[in-house]
Amino acid sequence: MKLIRTLLFCTLSISMLAACTQVRPWERGLLAKEEMAWRTNALEGALNDHIFFSKEASSGGSSAAAGGCGCN
Amino acid sequence: MNFRKASFASVMALTLGMSFNSFAVEEGDDAPGFILPAIQEGQPDISMEALEGKTVYVDFWASWCAPCLKSLPLYNEMYHKYKDQGLEIIAINVDNPVEDGLDFLIDTPLDFLIPSDPDGETAELFKVIGMPTSYLVTPDGKVELVHMGFRNGDMEIIEEAIEKILAAN
Repeated sequence: MKLIRTLLFCTLSISMLAACTQVRPWERGLLAKEEMAWRTNALEGALNDHIFFSKEASSGGSSAAAGGCGCN
Repeated sequence: MNFRKASFASVMALTLGMSFNSFAVEEGDDAPGFILPAIQEGQPDISMEALEGKTVYVDFWASWCAPCLKSLPLYNEMYHKYKDQGLEIIAINVDNPVEDGLDFLIDTPLDFLIPSDPDGETAELFKVIGMPTSYLVTPDGKVELVHMGFRNGDMEIIEEAIEKILAAN
């Protein structure tokens, strides 16, 4: 019984790996579109970032677009 | 115990599956060969093999990538500066749809070779690590320089590497 449960766990875990895929750098055209930004209002976003930074003494993690080089 | 082993195996499989960048083309590797259609219809196909014996600068770009658009006009200047000494530039466009790339080229005409790779097959061959990424390939087909991103001052680094290869061949 224990073996069956272990095998079942392994099979389920491995089948879930099918969902783990990276968006390749050259496939980020859609993510780079303006309408895909977390925040549509740049001014509001900048204000929120400022408030977050002043409270938490850290910043970043508020976007997921661009090509992966960190330069745009 | 079996459960712990199974968990460990699953995590390892996940880690291996995610370690995509470890197979990227690096300096010293052989440049992968490819053949791609030109972005402009009616132009002949573009291949790495056809440029054997030349110094080739291979660049991956897209119209949605801001640093790419900044670099391309500068690469055009670089092409005119070194083409008589044997430099070729292949700027592979990965836009999907291709029309996005063509729209950019209407406003910014470029004189070097521009193939289109909308399905990212060649980008996958090179395992491009970010956009833009460029590869300087020596006449014997080795990758001399891998350059990711584009910032102020990068042209000096790239031109220095190109001059070094051109002087040696």
